[in-house]
Amino acid sequence: MEKQALAGVKVVDFGWALVGSLTGKHLGDHGAQVIRVESSTRPDLTRMDRTVSTTKGLDDNPMFTHFNTSKYSMALNLKHPRAREVIDRLIRWGDVVNANFTPGTLSKLGFGYEYIRGIKPDIIMAEGSAYGQTGPLAQEWGVDGTGAALSGYLHLTGWPDRGPVAPNLPYSDVVLPLFIATAIVAALDYKRRTGKGQYIDASMIEVCSHQITPALLDWEANRHLQTRNGNRIAYAAPHSVFPCQGDDRWCAIGVFTDGEWEAFCHAIGDPPWTKEPRFATLNSRKENEDALEELVSEWTEQHSAEEVMQIMQAAGVAASVVQTVQDLLEHDPQLKEREFLVPLKHPVMGAFGHPTPPYKLLKTKAQVRTSPCLGEHTEYVCTEFLGMSHEEFAELSQQEVFR
Amino acid sequence: MADSLLGGFRALDLTDEKGFVCGKILAALGVEVIKIEKPGGDPARGIPPFLHNTPDAEKSLYWYAFNTDKRSITLNLEVRQGQDLFRKLAQKADFVLESFAPGYMDSLGLGYEALRQANPRIIVTSITSFGQKGPYTQYKGSDLIASAMGGVLLTTGDPDRPPVREGPDSIYFHTGAAAALGTVIAHCHREITGEGQQVDVSLQGVVASRTFTNLIIWEFKKQLIKRSGSVRKIGARATRWIWQCKDGYVFWAFMPGKFGAPANRVLSKWIDEDGLENPLNKVTNWDEFDLTAISREELDAHEEAIAKFFMNHTKKEIAEEGLKRGLNAASIDSPPDVLENRQLEARGYWVDLEHPESGSTLMYPKQFFLCNETENFMKRRAPLIGEHNEDIYVKELGLSSTEIAALKKAGVI
Repeated sequence: MEKQALAGVKVVDFGWALVGSLTGKHLGDHGAQVIRVESSTRPDLTRMDRTVSTTKGLDDNPMFTHFNTSKYSMALNLKHPRAREVIDRLIRWGDVVNANFTPGTLSKLGFGYEYIRGIKPDIIMAEGSAYGQTGPLAQEWGVDGTGAALSGYLHLTGWPDRGPVAPNLPYSDVVLPLFIATAIVAALDYKRRTGKGQYIDASMIEVCSHQITPALLDWEANRHLQTRNGNRIAYAAPHSVFPCQGDDRWCAIGVFTDGEWEAFCHAIGDPPWTKEPRFATLNSRKENEDALEELVSEWTEQHSAEEVMQIMQAAGVAASVVQTVQDLLEHDPQLKEREFLVPLKHPVMGAFGHPTPPYKLLKTKAQVRTSPCLGEHTEYVCTEFLGMSHEEFAELSQQEVFR
Repeated sequence: MADSLLGGFRALDLTDEKGFVCGKILAALGVEVIKIEKPGGDPARGIPPFLHNTPDAEKSLYWYAFNTDKRSITLNLEVRQGQDLFRKLAQKADFVLESFAPGYMDSLGLGYEALRQANPRIIVTSITSFGQKGPYTQYKGSDLIASAMGGVLLTTGDPDRPPVREGPDSIYFHTGAAAALGTVIAHCHREITGEGQQVDVSLQGVVASRTFTNLIIWEFKKQLIKRSGSVRKIGARATRWIWQCKDGYVFWAFMPGKFGAPANRVLSKWIDEDGLENPLNKVTNWDEFDLTAISREELDAHEEAIAKFFMNHTKKEIAEEGLKRGLNAASIDSPPDVLENRQLEARGYWVDLEHPESGSTLMYPKQFFLCNETENFMKRRAPLIGEHNEDIYVKELGLSSTEIAALKKAGVI
């Protein structure tokens, strides 16, 4: 098997919850050795989430697994007076330190960047947070929704005549780790060339605000205040979600070019209304979009969402079933082809689908391993990676450092 | 000037709006990103809004937004001379970014295998709707279609209306970030081994990678999570996420246990101070407050009181006074609000970029993240159509003015 892209990279991972966990996962799935440092004195939120866990233990949560594949777990109580002896060795071992505690937390514990750099001058350390490590609001509390609210994303999501809505899924928490991991990997290459380490400070609000740049420029240049616009966009029509046969079944359709409009009309059987001048051009379709959407709905309602997708795609028009997660798991041959989930056996939960990265390196493929139980590799890491003797390990264990 | 993380490398960027963000990120990291446009300009230059509301290929604010720090040359890849020129450029490039339908680059003789022959180090990042292989590979897609196909769209919107998309092309942004990560991982490997590869990114796959909580709930409990408006169904209990206030909306999440306790105490006290009816008073121990242990009626009573409280205040009051008290709320900010965010201001988040051809200066977000040893910032406005033709074709490839004239006449550049 081809060696993985990040083979040989060593990561000390203090990351937790979503942002920190996912950052480490991206690296681990591509072959980096990632040691997740965690503690039963303050377990990860996703180890404690009870949405699906049954045993009330810390090792039975598939949500934790989704964020923490391909890692080792070391239990370590950072507040223990002798934790430093272990941390120092971890830092000497590592190339990268990943963390996402509230800014200032690691410094308070005595393990801030200055301390870490003192031990290993060329360390690459990345900290993710809601607001960033500096500035008046650095230490404020923030979650996925904080980023969604303050970056303008929520303001722009929903119907024009109603308030904002949010998906029942995270956004900011998933996007930020991609940027942190990108910075870490680029910094690894920079270090290879220059010998210099790096401190990386990534803020959720800063990353997410980039995506509304067109709306920011529209305000600056034109004093035009963009707001929620349902499913419509200025450069395509029809461009919306249409009802289909069945309970809560929908198909999304987007017609962007004149050629696609012709293909669309033909695909639905060229009914007379499609020849009306009010639908002849993109501009006129935009002007009569309510009527247009109603007429399209009359056609889609007579078909299943799958039929609409197939008819449209066969005609070269962008369309898709609005899929449920059941569709993703059971009816989607494309995601299956991409090995969106791989079945792996977890020692406590048994076999279930583990997510692979959605960007595929075709030569050095990601290899996903199941997530660790809390502290599963503590002894292994201490003796195999950190060079600790078995006596030393036993002594620290007795002092309850590894909790 | 300080270094940037990936200064000295070069990318050829053939993407349309599906892939702009990938090149933008690489450019911010110092990669010299050369946008290759059709003669006459990239069709995505027609995406509104426009500078001063004037539709013009050189005035798309959408194009400006996602092509900062790139250079631009024009090149017709559908003619042989254009393909030869592209191959020449690819020999010296480190990355090719493209978002054509799978197979299109192969049909031009410019697919990964062909480029690898010319340059074994090359990394080709392909950003498509559904991926390079599989039954839907030739299906057409977009931000909306990918959201539908990836399982996010169904979870967004009011229950009494059709599902609704996330407003600001969030899928393209997310996919661009995933593509950039795949590209730099491949780069890191290439710099050590000398071997390039293709990176295959699918919009649908990126969207589906966000669905984990709902996947798990289906897999383990056979429940489907659909859209629920401003209420978020994550975890064991659905609670309201978005609250109307006097002049807009705020985000505040009702969270259980120790994680939510500090904010819940602050809120309860504040409701009392406002002299409003306060059922939250009945909670004696917030540290052990369990949203799943109370009845729906009790939760509704709590939420009704909280809703009245928020309607009693403006967005600004909630944001500012809330910060002082530790309410953990955030205002749902509009674009002008984002421009005035004092935290962003304090961190030097904004940069003025000049557009000398129109005499305007526009303020852009400057950094994706901050580094202590390198500068990875936006520095230059997006390029004009073919702005760097001379730099690349004449100064670098050494074409003569007669050759250039002939290529122009033949519609190659």
